[in-house]
Amino acid sequence: MSIMEYNGGSVIAMVGKDCVAIASDLRLGNQALSISSNFQKVFPVTDRIYVGLPGLGTDVTTLRERFRYRINMYTIKEEREIEPETFAHLVSSTLYEHRFGPYFIEPVIAGLSKTPSGGVKPLIAAADLIGCLNFAKDFVVAGTASTKLLGVAEGLWEPDLEPEDLFETISQTLLNSVDRDAFSGWGAVVHVITKDSIISRTLKGRMD
Amino acid sequence: MNTFVERFTTNASNGLFCGNGAVEEDEEFSDAMWGSEAGFGSLARGVPSFTVPSVSDPAAFLRLHTDDHADPNCKIKIQHGTTTLAFRFQGGVIVAVDSRATAGSYVASGTVKKVIEINPYLLGTMAGGAADCQYWETYLGMHCRLHELRNRERISVSAASKYLSNLVYGYKGMGLSMGTMICGWDKTGPAVFYVDSDGTRLKGDLFSVGSGSTFAYGVLDQGYRWDLSDEEAQELGRRSIYAAGHRDAFSGNTCNLYHVKENGWNFIGNYDISKLHYDGPGDVAGSPGHGYGYDLRVEGRSSVNAPEAAPAVAAQA
Amino acid sequence: MASADGGAYSYSLTVFSPSGKLVQIEHALAAVSQGTTSLGIKASNGIVIATEKKSSSILVDDSVIDKVAIVCPNIGLVYSGMGPDFRVLLTKARKSAQAYWKLYGEYPPTKVLTQEIATVMQQATQSGGVRPFGVSLLVAGWDNNRGPSLYQVDPSGSFWAWKASAIGKNMTNAKTFLEKRYNDDISLEDAIHTALLTLKEGFEGEMTEKTIEIGVVTVPTLAELEEGKIGGETGRPKPTFRKLSEEEVRDYLAL
Repeated sequence: MSIMEYNGGSVIAMVGKDCVAIASDLRLGNQALSISSNFQKVFPVTDRIYVGLPGLGTDVTTLRERFRYRINMYTIKEEREIEPETFAHLVSSTLYEHRFGPYFIEPVIAGLSKTPSGGVKPLIAAADLIGCLNFAKDFVVAGTASTKLLGVAEGLWEPDLEPEDLFETISQTLLNSVDRDAFSGWGAVVHVITKDSIISRTLKGRMD
Repeated sequence: MNTFVERFTTNASNGLFCGNGAVEEDEEFSDAMWGSEAGFGSLARGVPSFTVPSVSDPAAFLRLHTDDHADPNCKIKIQHGTTTLAFRFQGGVIVAVDSRATAGSYVASGTVKKVIEINPYLLGTMAGGAADCQYWETYLGMHCRLHELRNRERISVSAASKYLSNLVYGYKGMGLSMGTMICGWDKTGPAVFYVDSDGTRLKGDLFSVGSGSTFAYGVLDQGYRWDLSDEEAQELGRRSIYAAGHRDAFSGNTCNLYHVKENGWNFIGNYDISKLHYDGPGDVAGSPGHGYGYDLRVEGRSSVNAPEAAPAVAAQA
Repeated sequence: MASADGGAYSYSLTVFSPSGKLVQIEHALAAVSQGTTSLGIKASNGIVIATEKKSSSILVDDSVIDKVAIVCPNIGLVYSGMGPDFRVLLTKARKSAQAYWKLYGEYPPTKVLTQEIATVMQQATQSGGVRPFGVSLLVAGWDNNRGPSLYQVDPSGSFWAWKASAIGKNMTNAKTFLEKRYNDDISLEDAIHTALLTLKEGFEGEMTEKTIEIGVVTVPTLAELEEGKIGGETGRPKPTFRKLSEEEVRDYLAL
């Protein structure tokens, strides 16, 4: 069995109008055996960046700490918050440092970057487990339900969704996709990042 | 009556089960194939025949390429994720199954019927290869009917299960995959037999089969008594399948519940496992009146659970 | 016995003198103040750094001497003091900028790069078997976060941000001159002229496009920023630091 399926779990991120959303399931399994229904795999990086780390559970924790360390060092040294694009490159570099013994994580990044004129620009990205970046204009997916998420998102996503509509779209996409995946599910969490607030909601999902 | 039987078997041979012509005619079937010839001798032509790989030892060839626990890396994979259970008690037999079919990690269906209604008095459960179970249990039903016509009485659960057992034993090593429970009510009362494609056949009070069986056994074992009331027994079956559907990634979606009594089986109901988790089985016999979910059961009774119910969609912005 | 001023402490890099000084660092600063004058001025819309370039002989081909150097597209350097030491630091600074790019996909802000250089210089004051770098640096750069900024780094590894500063032989006079001439809303063009005037103070010989070097930092326009930082097919950002060509220097001198 694939190591990426050992603990299960999935993450998706979507672009909206001046906002981005990132969502994940809450399952942690040991192969077929579901262990936990509150395993966090999406983490805040700054006030405007979230990162999702689906994959091997132990690496979720390790990478999360590694990124926390590097972001704190960056913030202190540069005396500023990291921008999403820079963070994406940091993620990529961190993963490629382990090219020949990788972390079994496929990170998803969602954030709002500042534009020179003072506005915000939505940015989402996904990387494979050795750091190949994919900046998408619409949505990115990762995890054991990635194929299903891709299909459902392809059908539900549309451009320029307002935060509440984006929330609905990403929630429905995630919930319906993980229902078709044996290794994902057991509840979900959604974050919508807007210019002046972050909406975080825990969703009730199928518990089988 | 005999002419009818004769005609039926002939038709079966020529129509439904027509396979490899070479094997079909004048094929010899050993006594071992049947367990005994008693009463079945004339049915030889009714036994289906299949095209097999054209190599000198088809069984050895198939063993190499099909699903078998001897070789987990085989090429042909058959659906394994399932939870089925059946138990005997004072009030009859409870049969409960989940309804999920998976292909790898993909949930191919959530509405599979894993209880095969062989006849009004016999139920078979489905675990392993869906097609194998469906085909052979339907075929078993046909022979149970023939038995009735021949002997003017219903076949015993024991005989029916042995018939199936012997049948699949004949294909041993060729990749058949079934783990089934043949359940019913006969002259001896309620009966449950476990039969699998290895040729195992066991009589017992309580069985669970499939990837989720350990979870089902957990609930089943602590709740099982011979003198369970009908309501308690149905609830135990439902609750056990819920437990498996909840914890096992390859089981879930819905629970189908059957109760076999003296007058044959009754379909009790179909229950959404997520609904069982949050709300319980609803207004049915034996219902606890609340959800089965851990969080709901320990609400206000554990250190991490606050007394008031957590809102379903809680904004924490 | 050791020299009169430092006594027994003057040869040891890592031992403080009783008066609390590291004498070798003092000596390094002395080496810097023997070097040719360099200066930098931060203007409202950019930065200029300039230096005087003197050859020991007319036979030297001075067209290949570089005292104002590019580190990465947004940062430049100028030094006073020992040329070979500067070359080592410049190489390290360039490598550091590229390492930063590899990690973050963008070039370092001026302050971060200055810190990196300062760290290297500090380490040379505390490590066994080495001597301090005999140079002072002026680091000029532009970044998204802080805009144009000008730093001076000394052999001790200490660094400051300046609106205008001078290092090398005539630094005291030059600084006095700059203090008189500087104001906060000076334009880049004016700053370049001020830089030339400052250099002229105490310049030995003729000031020509061959004997001075100038580097400028320009601030990108909003439109240029909106375009994004990737420039064309090379994938390189549009430079905000550049050296003036001899023709450009000649034109400024003529005015």
